[in-house]
Amino acid sequence: MKITSRQTDAHTLVGAYAIDAITTRDRKRFERHLAGCEECAREIAGLREATAMLGAATAQPLPAGLKERVMAVAEVTRQQPPVEEQAARTGTWAALRGTFGIWLRSLGWPGRLTLAAGATAAAAVLAIAVVFGVTNGSMQQQLKQVRASDRQIAVVLTAQDASMMTRAVTGGGTVTIVMSNTRHALVFTAKGLRPLPASRGYELWLTGPAGTRPVGMLPAGSDGVTGPVVASGVSAGDHLALTDEPARGSARPTTPMMLYIAP
Amino acid sequence: MRASGSQEPKRRRRAADGASPRDDLEAQIGLVARGDGAAFDALFERLAPSVFGVVKSVIRDPAQSEEVTQEVMLEVWRTAAKFDPGRGSVTAWVVTMAHRRAVDRVRSVQKEAERERRIATEEVPFDEVTEAVESSLERERVRRCVNSLTDVQRESLILAYYRGYTYSQVASLLGVPIGTVKTRMRDALIRMRDCLGVAE
Repeated sequence: MKITSRQTDAHTLVGAYAIDAITTRDRKRFERHLAGCEECAREIAGLREATAMLGAATAQPLPAGLKERVMAVAEVTRQQPPVEEQAARTGTWAALRGTFGIWLRSLGWPGRLTLAAGATAAAAVLAIAVVFGVTNGSMQQQLKQVRASDRQIAVVLTAQDASMMTRAVTGGGTVTIVMSNTRHALVFTAKGLRPLPASRGYELWLTGPAGTRPVGMLPAGSDGVTGPVVASGVSAGDHLALTDEPARGSARPTTPMMLYIAP
Repeated sequence: MRASGSQEPKRRRRAADGASPRDDLEAQIGLVARGDGAAFDALFERLAPSVFGVVKSVIRDPAQSEEVTQEVMLEVWRTAAKFDPGRGSVTAWVVTMAHRRAVDRVRSVQKEAERERRIATEEVPFDEVTEAVESSLERERVRRCVNSLTDVQRESLILAYYRGYTYSQVASLLGVPIGTVKTRMRDALIRMRDCLGVAE
């Protein structure tokens, strides 16, 4: 077989590629090569069976609760159909997914979500699970509506460092948050939250070194979608909290926090 | 697809004695693609410990490893319908996804340059990694195959796979030319593949 020197050069990356020992730039370069090299694809498939065993050799017991969280989130996460769904994933969303984790940490939010609700509160029905970087069609649709609706929101959504996080609320919907560190702001939307009586509403809070500040009441949702609500003046160490309050709102939370992003 | 025809008997043996026959997992992923929660539960039991293990070996930080493990398992749920048995086993698909995510996470969290600087002085944790492999499960076979590699092959493989280093980082750690590391990585994997009898 005739092999050009360029092919030879790219081909030497087969091993490194199979174990991700290459930079992102090299990976892209190699994937271009791979697209036209059936032999490489075959070789990599074989090598990956071997690397999978290297990985499996490190198997270890899972931390408590991990499985339950994944199962809870899976339950409310739409699956992709077998055909490619590329159109649904624009570059922007892919980028948001990628940068989300870093942003959170830079704000001092390690990304742990705990349910701080008393057993007696109606809110306690909700078990909140964590999802990172998971998007699905309905959330994207939700965010598209958000994008169109408000300029202030658009500022956050289009910020260079905008990143998105999604939390699933078992038995009670999902929340999606888009944040911008440079804008010190975030956009909050929820879908499928448990309906409250007309006299009550969901109130969003920022709580941290600067004290606990009300962000606002979540507007009554149409079609199960609540929000969007913009929180500005977000600073490092702030947590986001959600409580069930009288419909006109409270100055301080009066019921246990249902959603609390805590260190 | 067959990278090497001679591997077939070994594979059959593996399927016979292995705890996770490949066909079984393929059937499960098919059910998962159709939204079967029980199948996902079973698949989770089988694969999540490996995902967590590989992610943690690269990332180290338990909380972050947990996050990435969740991401990966949810990605499996979401994209089960995209699994293509013609391109490898379910295990390889999932573990590859886990490894790549873990590597991407450490490389984005620490700036590459920072990492490069740190590498120059870092103590190489071979023993630790090797021990982790030795002490955990099925692993005897993996350990035997890893031990059959030459020193440079083994060290390149361990640093790259279990630590998430790039080939050029591995080269500077080992004081070996980049070209050598690239070839040794490939040679190491080919030997592992043949030794483990897992060729496609």
